[in-house]
Amino acid sequence: MTYWCLFQMVLLLCFSTTALSRNYSLLRFQQRRSVVVCQKLLRQLPSTPQHCLEVRMDFQVPEEMKQAQQFQEEDAILVIYEMLQQIFGILTRDFSSTGWSETVIEDLLVELQRQMDHLEPIQKEIMQRKNFTTGDMAILHLKKYYFNLGQYLKSMEYNSCAWTVMRVQMLMNFSFLKSLTGYLHD
Amino acid sequence: MLALLGATTLMLVAGRWVLPAASGEANLKPENVEIHIIDDNFFLKWNSSSESVRNVTFSADYQILGTDNWKKLPGCQNTASTKCNFSSVELKNVFEKIELRIRAEEGNNTSIWYEVEPFVPFLEAQIGPPDVHLEAEDKAIILSISPPGTEDSIMWATDRLNFRYSVVIWKNSSSLEERTETVYPEDKIYKLSPEITYCLKVKAELPLQSRVGYYSPVYCINTTERRNVPSPENIQINADNQVCVLKWDYPYENTTFRAQWLRAFFKKIPGKHSDKWKQILNCENVTTTRCVFPRDAFPNGIYYVRVQASNGNGTSFWSEEKKFYIEMKTVIFPPVISLKSITDDSLHVSVGASEESENMSVNQLYPLIYEVIFWENTSNAERKVLEKRTEFTFLDLKPLTVYCVKARALIENDRRNKSSSFSDTVCEKTKPGDTSKTWLKAGICTALFSLPVVIYVVRLFLRGVNYVFFPSSKPPSSVDEYFSDQPLKNLLLSTSEEQTERCFIIENASIITEIEETNEIDEVHKKYNSQTSQDSGNYSNEDENSGSKISEEFLQQDSV
Repeated sequence: MTYWCLFQMVLLLCFSTTALSRNYSLLRFQQRRSVVVCQKLLRQLPSTPQHCLEVRMDFQVPEEMKQAQQFQEEDAILVIYEMLQQIFGILTRDFSSTGWSETVIEDLLVELQRQMDHLEPIQKEIMQRKNFTTGDMAILHLKKYYFNLGQYLKSMEYNSCAWTVMRVQMLMNFSFLKSLTGYLHD
Repeated sequence: MLALLGATTLMLVAGRWVLPAASGEANLKPENVEIHIIDDNFFLKWNSSSESVRNVTFSADYQILGTDNWKKLPGCQNTASTKCNFSSVELKNVFEKIELRIRAEEGNNTSIWYEVEPFVPFLEAQIGPPDVHLEAEDKAIILSISPPGTEDSIMWATDRLNFRYSVVIWKNSSSLEERTETVYPEDKIYKLSPEITYCLKVKAELPLQSRVGYYSPVYCINTTERRNVPSPENIQINADNQVCVLKWDYPYENTTFRAQWLRAFFKKIPGKHSDKWKQILNCENVTTTRCVFPRDAFPNGIYYVRVQASNGNGTSFWSEEKKFYIEMKTVIFPPVISLKSITDDSLHVSVGASEESENMSVNQLYPLIYEVIFWENTSNAERKVLEKRTEFTFLDLKPLTVYCVKARALIENDRRNKSSSFSDTVCEKTKPGDTSKTWLKAGICTALFSLPVVIYVVRLFLRGVNYVFFPSSKPPSSVDEYFSDQPLKNLLLSTSEEQTERCFIIENASIITEIEETNEIDEVHKKYNSQTSQDSGNYSNEDENSGSKISEEFLQQDSV
């Protein structure tokens, strides 16, 4: 009887099909470069008074951002797109109080826009397959986090202290984006 | 026990029915409670379970799911109607699940709470109508659309820039000629006729979440009369490494032109950005229908360009805005293709970046589409496909056939039609067809089923070997039948056993017989002696002597 079970197991192993995975090599390459450019641009912006960072704010950073390893490829793409969108949204707000270079901010926006253009057709395809209304929790958590950032900026009347805090948050976001691109494998 | 349980349940159920009747319908429950959210407006609607006009009021509470802190829902306290507006609720954010409950009250009596299914406001919310401002030109209408909700909207705070607007426009005179266009918040609708009344309505969409909003009211506007100075048309840009050449069409002479550019992402941001358009130097007050400017003037990126004409009679409206990708060296490397056969009727294609493009600096990357040429190796019939994705599959192919693929990369939406050279041709054979597959499956099944048979045959063989070389001590069954008697069986079977009492010495057989006879004679004699015991005195010696004499004679005979 045991021989029979063994034979079945062997058969199963031999004829199991391997799952097909999408090839995101081009996308991954573009993403990684884009993130590096954005980080360089962000670092060009001067970090104004350090005392602004001493105040601890709880923006309810999503748990998903603290542990990147739980993402599948498709989820990673949705998260990346959402983050690019939200960072773009923040950078379109009034930063005149900071004295930051408009050119640098515009370059950042251009880069973010370019990346979103690359991701959009893939994102659309994934969204059509998935049912968003089942509540993709990671996306909701992200939206809550970025909403908190926006409300904080508004409450501080877009002063340079608030923007300094934003800059730190965005640098952290880009680090996370970089690790996410690792999930777009061949 | 069971009967007791059943009886108790019956009583409880009956009690529930009975109690409201007993209290005279005081505890009316709200029914069919529904939540409606449009932008930042929250409504609660329900039905009352009684139709009679009494002093029934309703109150509602809310809490964040997971906390245990019911708070009063503002705008829904002691309300007599069957709906309330709780938009003034101060939610920290709209991305957390909310619980609502509502009950009816009459005097001091209250019904039980009706609890609404917990929901996430952001996911429940419907997109309201956008706010639209129109400005008319002679052949175009300028749209200024504000996103749904107010500027301080909490609901759409994270998605303000993600809205796309779908415009339906028609001539007021004939509503049959409808046109639908998707526009940015600040955009124009072109190709209209002068001095016509156009009507339009706009709805906002979140395309990436597949959510569509309500249409705005219908707005109508008249296009102006045709302007004396027409706008330039058919704008094109050609770029090489050193310069960019901007060209357009214009029907008249003696006109000066100026060109402006705008970074593309500004289109996504609501609000007028007319101040963001910048003049292209070298393209100001030009009198020809082309202007040349250095590549260095523009950092790499995506731009919109527009041109305006002016002459003695006035200035034209701005031309159509054209989108361009401006890059330093528009070198596109050929892609790298890989083909994989998945099933018998499909081939999976993977398009990858070549090694050289991996080494390129990042500014030279832009959205590419791929022109893929696909043909069967034996025929020359080529199929041409334009693909934006880097992974796709060709279907409806023939099994066990070799197909070949080559591709080149193109810049998307580029007027220049700049493309790379073709990649290397890659060929792959599709998998065997269904018939071969079924033969394969049949083969596996027979192998599976023949295995126990094989094992059985091997066992039989081993048994035969055992039988021949290591025979067992059991007799064949026929022998068993024949001999049913137990001792005789033992006789035949136990050949190794020796019956010592029956073992004779053959040599002295005759003496033995003789001795036996003499013994018999002796016995006879003895009998005789016993019988003739009266004469025993006289004959005894003679008998004895005769017996011994005979034996001596015989012995002598023998020895001779």
